[in-house]
Amino acid sequence: MATLHVLSHSPFTDSRLSSCLRILGSQDALLLCGDAVYALQDGSAQRQALELMPENIALYALNEDVQARGLLCPTRLKQVDYPGFVALSCQYDKVNTWL
Amino acid sequence: MSKSLLIISRQAPCSGPGAREALDIALAGGAFDLPIGLLFLDDGVFQLSSAQQPATLQQKDLSANLQALPMFGVEALYVSQRSLAERGLQDQPSSLAVERLDDSSISALIDRYDQVITL
Repeated sequence: MATLHVLSHSPFTDSRLSSCLRILGSQDALLLCGDAVYALQDGSAQRQALELMPENIALYALNEDVQARGLLCPTRLKQVDYPGFVALSCQYDKVNTWL
Repeated sequence: MSKSLLIISRQAPCSGPGAREALDIALAGGAFDLPIGLLFLDDGVFQLSSAQQPATLQQKDLSANLQALPMFGVEALYVSQRSLAERGLQDQPSSLAVERLDDSSISALIDRYDQVITL
């Protein structure tokens, strides 16, 4: 059972991202939206952790949140729009939103 | 003699009203000639990023309001060196001239002000 994990909180102010990366299953995927996209900030430990994730784990970022914050998305992550977000939510067996 | 107020802004610009409200307090205080200081801490340092496009989220650009601070007499502007470094922002240009402070200077800064508010 593959799970899509959705993070929307800044990775610099709490431990959701690091906890999530630790417990991701090999079939799971991670989608960053809202302030969670600050994990893509160049030069941060959080971005490095994302880039070091095994290739089989799919990583996504919501395009408009990346743009609004003036960030550059590394190639390791695929950018999706809202229809893509919905498609991913349907594609995985379940969605775990880290509220 | 009016009391001095230090505002500590630690919210990222797009995440909610916190960043704007901190800025509004600073601007209002400046308009009344109060001695105001503004410190960007934690995710608040993202407010200083010059590459933001908040229109993508149908939001107004906060950085335009930041530029108004000196015009309102708010010139004591500080940012945490540690918060910048943790986010890989230490070499990035800032949209506003702010003084970088280390942790001990921040504690001395807070000490200097009569009142402090953190948003």
